[in-house]
Amino acid sequence: MTNLKTLIRGEFGRLNKYGLFKANFVVLLLWVFLAWFLEGEALLQFIPFIFLMDSVMMTILLVGATLFYEKKEHTVNSLMVTPVTENEYLLSKVITNVLNSLLTVFIISLVVYLLKGVTYTYWQVVPAVALVTVVHTLIGIRLSYGAKDFTSLLVNYMVYVFIFFLPPVFGQFGLFDRSVARFFILLPPEASGLLIGSAFAAIEPWKIVFSYVYLALLSLLLFRFVVKPQFMAYVMRETGV
Amino acid sequence: MIVVKNLRYKYPKGKDYVVNGISFEIREGEIFGFLGPSGAGKSTTQKILIKLLPGFAGEIAYQGRALSSYTDEFYQDIGVSFEMPISFSKLTALENLQFFQRLYRRTVDLEPLLKRVGLWDERHKKAGEYSKGMKIRLNFVRALLNDPKFLFLDEPTNGVDPANARIMKDMILEFKQRGGTVFLTSHIMGDVDELCDRVAFIAEGRLREEGSPRDLKLKYGKRTVKVEYRENGELHTQLFPMEEIKTPPFFRLLQEKEIETLHSGETTLEEIFIKVTGVKLRD
Repeated sequence: MTNLKTLIRGEFGRLNKYGLFKANFVVLLLWVFLAWFLEGEALLQFIPFIFLMDSVMMTILLVGATLFYEKKEHTVNSLMVTPVTENEYLLSKVITNVLNSLLTVFIISLVVYLLKGVTYTYWQVVPAVALVTVVHTLIGIRLSYGAKDFTSLLVNYMVYVFIFFLPPVFGQFGLFDRSVARFFILLPPEASGLLIGSAFAAIEPWKIVFSYVYLALLSLLLFRFVVKPQFMAYVMRETGV
Repeated sequence: MIVVKNLRYKYPKGKDYVVNGISFEIREGEIFGFLGPSGAGKSTTQKILIKLLPGFAGEIAYQGRALSSYTDEFYQDIGVSFEMPISFSKLTALENLQFFQRLYRRTVDLEPLLKRVGLWDERHKKAGEYSKGMKIRLNFVRALLNDPKFLFLDEPTNGVDPANARIMKDMILEFKQRGGTVFLTSHIMGDVDELCDRVAFIAEGRLREEGSPRDLKLKYGKRTVKVEYRENGELHTQLFPMEEIKTPPFFRLLQEKEIETLHSGETTLEEIFIKVTGVKLRD
């Protein structure tokens, strides 16, 4: 537990030192700027979109950038010969990103309340954003370890967006038949969007329950069978003494 | 302190054993040199000993207990200094060390360590702005910050200037005097000769030779004494078997001739390395 706290503190310190917080903050300002021009229903539709983008896209990019630096500087070598375990290392990445996403939720919620007086069911937003961030941190780690350099990470990222993110968006414009579109809930970004959106609009309860169970299960499976083995293989490859 | 028996290892995608049935012991309080050419299995053995490579065959015991049964307490005990410079480049040297320090139960005061290796005045400089030699010294300090009982040092003085290399070697010897144990790899045979109590040579995954530098030099050296002397302006050389140096011809030569040099036929670790591993040192 002490190691986990130290690792998370270290992660935040490095996000700051490597300028990644700044990049995150600039994006946050952009969201606030856009929200400024929206009112009523349009704003209530835009806020869940911000949270979804932050907990899916920004999370993947942030974890990708931190792992890119770690790969470049071989720092994982040093960490793996300390009392830190693989689980603690990976959990620190997940928790740091969850805290980061929740910070965005807090700032956006505060700003839209102060500027527009808009409120929503925060107790629904927080667990939804947390779970969505967990899944996408793990997906981000998977995409990063599968990439040779930052360019190939961006390519992997774009492939993920095309395959998993865009079909549900196109579905909303009626580009897919209903019989196909109903399976989009199996795509992590769609299930994520449903969960976050449930704090802002009425969504069928089974879809909410399914999304929670599905994303939680997906997180466990990704951690156990994809991310951890891939991390171990990475350590084996990289730790040249 | 560490006993290795019949260690064998094959990488998951590899066909052949990279480490093929090696056995050795690292005794408490000694500096053990592990030497071999690139690709000999040296690095793999080290990775196994610091618990980075699971799935090996054979037995490894640390302080009488199977290495695999240790969890974080093993890492509380050891310090590892990698050959390549490793640090968070945008953090200062001190921030790097403080981050790692928080991961250990037992730590040392960083100030004397940093002062000793000449980095104290530069402690607030970003590690990325350090020269290679400074980064290596930072690696070395990081290996020592948990007051380890066992040090794994990979080419510790490679890329360090002679003055700082001297300081680091003194620190290694002092660590040993305090009861610490060291597993050292280096291609700088002068360092190995000076620091190591015992050395082992590995080539093609097998141990080729093991012993103290002195014993190995005696074993591989020639028991002769070479005398060079000048006579009528010309240089002459005469070789005596060690058994004959108490005989009159040897004494007569020393008394009557103008001796210029006197050499025993002792060999060097470098020559033993080449002979035992069949590979020439490149650096």
